[in-house]
Amino acid sequence: MEDKEILEKFSQPESQNMAFNQLVRKYQQKIYWHIRKMVINHDDADDLTQEVFVKVWKNLGNFRQDAQLYTWIYRIATNECLTFLSNKKKRFFLPIHDVAAELSEKIDTSPGISGDEIQLKLQKALLRLPDKQRLVFNMKYYDEMKYEEISEILGTSVGALKTSYHLAVKKIEEFIKLD
Amino acid sequence: MKKMNEDFKLENLPKHNIYQVPEGYFDRLPMRVMERTAGARAQETSVHAGLWAQVRMAVAPLVLLLVFVGAFFFTQQQQKQNDYSTLQPLAENDIIDYLHYNEDLETADLAELSYLTKHEFTEDFLNISPKVAEEELEYYHIRHIEE
Repeated sequence: MEDKEILEKFSQPESQNMAFNQLVRKYQQKIYWHIRKMVINHDDADDLTQEVFVKVWKNLGNFRQDAQLYTWIYRIATNECLTFLSNKKKRFFLPIHDVAAELSEKIDTSPGISGDEIQLKLQKALLRLPDKQRLVFNMKYYDEMKYEEISEILGTSVGALKTSYHLAVKKIEEFIKLD
Repeated sequence: MKKMNEDFKLENLPKHNIYQVPEGYFDRLPMRVMERTAGARAQETSVHAGLWAQVRMAVAPLVLLLVFVGAFFFTQQQQKQNDYSTLQPLAENDIIDYLHYNEDLETADLAELSYLTKHEFTEDFLNISPKVAEEELEYYHIRHIEE
């Protein structure tokens, strides 16, 4: 079902639930993986994904159709991730690298994570990046999004995003070479 | 491995997702989300209902107070109007006659006149000239001496 059709059906009370169910089915995987790569743990990603869709449901009536639906949902998911990570840092009074270390440990110990050594190293290298730069890298490298779309989601200029991505790649390569 | 790491280039690494989800997770997720949205809707309704009940409880005494204050001022206003309209039908001459022939008037009553302000007891209201008033007082005084 096209986004336009979903939105039309959502605006009618009798087809609202059906339309929203379609929306969740359409975007759940993209949103879940976007969140999972940021928070690492499945249970956290599961909670946040549900929270994102609850927020989408609450605000979909006010959604302005001049933006694309999926970039809007991505933006909600991105904000949820950043808030979650920020709260984690505040809650445990930990400096940034300690949260990174905690998440890095999860890569080794959590169930539902498996890959060869170099892939695991890549994920650990990613955790050493600042949260926003990690988001940029994930959206460009894994989700293969255009810079314009990332710019719409993060509210950052295309030029700044390009710089941020190239720096991220450099840092990751350096980290893996030195490890 | 060390050698491989030294030549490492991200573009040469095949993209691979190392994370997995429990079996059937994406089949169950829409239903779980729908349950939460239904819960959120019910909660939203009860929050609105609860808020309205609290507003009513807070506003009720205020409304009651306003009604009492309004009723009090309305009664006061009505009372003033009644006093005025009770006196109005009396002809001015009747009032003058009453004051003229009323023998119960005492000097103390007249002495109180000095305390009345001009606004309370105007010359128009009495409808007698200062000269007539003086003559009346003199006559009253003579009558009391004779008695």
